[in-house]
Amino acid sequence: MKRAKSLLRSVRQAFSGSKKKPATKKSAKKVAKKSAPAKKKAAKPAVKKPAVSRKSGQTGADGTVTWNFKQLSHHLLDGFGGMGEGMSVQIAPDGRRIIWLAHESAPKNFTAVDVSNPRKPKVVCQTDLPHSDVRSNSLETCGNMMAVAYQTKGKNMKPAGMELFDISNPEKPKSISFFDCSGEHSRGVHQLWFCDGEYVHMASSSADFVPTHPQDDQFYRCIDVRNPSKPVEVGRWHMPGTKQGDNVAPPPRHPLDKGYRAHNCNVYPQRPDRCYLAYIDGGMHVLDISNKSDPKRISSWTNSPPYTGFMHTVVPLFDRGLMLVTDESTENNAKDWPKLVWILDARDETNLVPISTCPLPDHKAYSSRGRFGAHNIHENVPLPTCWQNDQIVLGTFFNGGLRAYDISNPYQPQAIGTFVPPPAPGAPTGTTQINDVFVDEREVVYCVDRHIGGLYCLEMDF
Amino acid sequence: MNDVVLNLFPSTSAGRFGRRQKRERGSRLPVTIVTGFLGAGKTTLVQRFLKTPEGRGTALIVNEFGSVGIDDALLRTSEDTVTLLGNGCVCCNTRSDLQIALRKLVADRERGKIPHFGRVLIETSGLADISPILQTFSTDRALGGEFAIEVVLTLVDAVNGLRNLDTAPEARKQAILADRLVISKVDLADSRTQKKLAAKLKELNPRADIDIAVDGEIDPKHLIESGQDATAARHSGFIAEASHSDGIASFVIREKKPLEWPVFQRALDTLVSLRGPDLLRIKGILNLQGAKGPVVFQAVQHLVHPPVELAEWPDKDRSSRLVFITRGVSEPQVRALFEACKALGFVTGE
Repeated sequence: MKRAKSLLRSVRQAFSGSKKKPATKKSAKKVAKKSAPAKKKAAKPAVKKPAVSRKSGQTGADGTVTWNFKQLSHHLLDGFGGMGEGMSVQIAPDGRRIIWLAHESAPKNFTAVDVSNPRKPKVVCQTDLPHSDVRSNSLETCGNMMAVAYQTKGKNMKPAGMELFDISNPEKPKSISFFDCSGEHSRGVHQLWFCDGEYVHMASSSADFVPTHPQDDQFYRCIDVRNPSKPVEVGRWHMPGTKQGDNVAPPPRHPLDKGYRAHNCNVYPQRPDRCYLAYIDGGMHVLDISNKSDPKRISSWTNSPPYTGFMHTVVPLFDRGLMLVTDESTENNAKDWPKLVWILDARDETNLVPISTCPLPDHKAYSSRGRFGAHNIHENVPLPTCWQNDQIVLGTFFNGGLRAYDISNPYQPQAIGTFVPPPAPGAPTGTTQINDVFVDEREVVYCVDRHIGGLYCLEMDF
Repeated sequence: MNDVVLNLFPSTSAGRFGRRQKRERGSRLPVTIVTGFLGAGKTTLVQRFLKTPEGRGTALIVNEFGSVGIDDALLRTSEDTVTLLGNGCVCCNTRSDLQIALRKLVADRERGKIPHFGRVLIETSGLADISPILQTFSTDRALGGEFAIEVVLTLVDAVNGLRNLDTAPEARKQAILADRLVISKVDLADSRTQKKLAAKLKELNPRADIDIAVDGEIDPKHLIESGQDATAARHSGFIAEASHSDGIASFVIREKKPLEWPVFQRALDTLVSLRGPDLLRIKGILNLQGAKGPVVFQAVQHLVHPPVELAEWPDKDRSSRLVFITRGVSEPQVRALFEACKALGFVTGE
C-alpha cells in the first residue's frame, strides 16, 4: 500500500511537473546534442547511422522517402523490432526520458528506450512474455506507473488481462498487480488507455461475458486502479446484440468479418464524462461515462458497409468541434483498400457528420506488398510528455509509412510530410510496415515498424 | 475561406491565416529558379549542383518556352520527357506549360514512377522573362499551394554581361528580380570589367548577394538558400534605392506600428487594381494586429499569394517591412496610398 501511495504521488507529479524538470521544447536541441547520463550500464544498442540525408525532402540512396521529416536515428531494438501500438513517454525520477514500447507479438513483452538524446536512443530494458501464445500489443504510462494489456491467441488461456508495473527504475520494472480477464470465452485485453493515474479504460473480454459470436468477445471496461495493488472493475459497456441474453438481435456480419468488439477507448480531461470508443466492425460510439458504473451511448457513427470495417481510433479535437476517426488496414496487398483517416464535424456530438478524409498515397505505388492504409494516429494523450495539436494529423499507413496532414481547413486536409523508410533486413513482406506513432512535447516524432524495423526518431520540418 | 473555416472550427493554435508555419514556405516543395542571359553558364552551374549532396533529390525542369538556344541543343532529349539523372535527380524538359510539367512530376512521384524528389530546380531559357514563372507560383489555384520559390538565382556572364544589361531589357529584368546574382566566366574577363559589372548589378539590385562562379561552381547552398531574409532588415525605409532606365525601381516600405490587416488589404487591393501589371514583385513580412508571429506577404503583379503566419519572429525587430520592385510606381506614391488607407481606417463589417 505504501508503494502504491508513492506511485500515486508520481502520477500526480506527472500532471504538476516532475521533480526533475523534463527537457522543454526549447532546450530539446541542447538535450539532443548532450546525451543524458545513464545511471546503469545498458546493453549496447544497435544504433544504426541514418541512411538518409538529414536534409528534408530528400531521398536516401537506399530509397527512403522523406518529405518534411528529418530522421534523427533508427534503432532495431536489439533484433526484436516488431512493434505494436503502445508508445508512451515517461520522465524517469532521475530525469531520463524513457519511451516504453509494446511489441506486436511474442517473444518480447515491452521495451524501454532512453530517448533523452533522440539521436542516440538506448535500450534500457526489454522483457519477455511467458509463452508465444500471448501478446502485449498495448501499454500506457502515467508518472511511474505503467499498464500493459495481455491478449492470448485462443480462449481460456493465460495470462489474459492487464498488469500494472512500477517503472520508477526503468531498468527493473516491478509488477504491482495483475487484473485477470481470462475465461471460457475470453482472450483478455487488446488495447488500453491510462493517463489520469486513476482509471484504466480497456478493450477487454471477461470470464462472465458470453458473446453471441466468438469474434465479438472484447468490450469496453473501466478499471479503478487508484489502489494499484487491487484494481477493480467499475463499469462496462458492450454493443447491444453482441452478448448472449441481449434483447436485441446480433448485428449482421461484415464481408471481412473482423468482429464487433472494442478497440481504442480514449478519455480526455476536457470531457472526463466521455469515452470515445472505436468498435472495429461496429463503427464508433461516444459514451457518457459520467456514471462510470453505467456508461450510456450518446451517439454512433459507422462507415461500413460499404467500407470494410475495422474502426480503430477516435480522437476528439475539442476546441475545434472535430473528431478524427481511423480505420485499420488488416489485409495484405491492400485487399481492404481504402482504409482511411476520417474527419468528422463533431460540433453536435449527437450528430456526427463526416466531412473529409486524409488523402491516401497512390494505390498502385503501395498496394503490392503487405498492409497499406490507415492505422494509428497521434492521439494527443493528455500527459505533459505528449505533444498537443489540433492542426496536424500524424498517421501510420503500414507500407505507406508515416504521413502528416495539415487539417487547418478540415474540409481539405493537405499532405505535408512523408516518411517511408526502406524495409529493414528480413522484413517478411519485403516492405516497411509503419504501425504506430507518438510525438513528445519536444516535438520529437517516434514511429515503429510492425514486423522488424524497430524504432525511428524523427523531427517534423513543416 | 480560412476566416470562414476558422470561425466554424476555431483553434487556439491557429492565426488569421491558418496554421502558423515554422518557415516561410511551410510544407510546400522548395523551388529554385536559375536564370541568366544566353551563354551565361546556367547549364554548367546546374549540372555541377546536381552532383553535390545538396543537389540530391532534385527535379530539374528545363523550360525552353519554345525558344531555341544553345541550352536546348545540350539538354533536350525529347519534348516533355522525364529523364533520370542519377543522385536521385530527375530532369523534365518542357516546351509546354510549366504548370502541367510540375503537376505531372508530382503525380509521377506519388505513383512511384519516378524517384522521390524534394526540390524543384527550373532552368529557364536565356531569353526568358521570369515574371510569368513567378506568377505561376503565386496563387493556390496555380501552384502556390504546393510549391514555394526559395531562390531566384541569376547568372551574369563577366564577358558579355555589361553589354547585355545595357542592351537587353530581359537581362536587366532577370538581374532586378533575382535573390542572388552570380558572375560567371570570370577567368575570361579582366578585373576592371568585373568590377564595373558588379557595380552595375549592385545598382540594379542592391538586395541580392553577388557571388563569383569559377568553372560553374558556387557554394551549393546558394542554390537552396536565398540569402535574403524576408525581413529586408538590411535596408532602411522610405528611400527609393534604385531606378533604372526601364522605369523599374525597388524600394522598401517599413512601418513600426502593428498594422490592421483590413487596412493593409485595402491599400494593396487598390494598388493591385490600379497598377497590378507594374508590381513586378512585392515581398516582406508584416506585423499585424492580433497575430503572434510575422506574416509573410508576397505578390507578383496582380497575383497575391495567400499570406503565411510564422510561428516566431526571426529577430527582435518587430516592424513590418516590404520590398517593392515596381515599374513606374514610385515609393512616395505607394507610401501616400498606405497613409491614406491608414487615415481612412477600418470600419467593422467591411
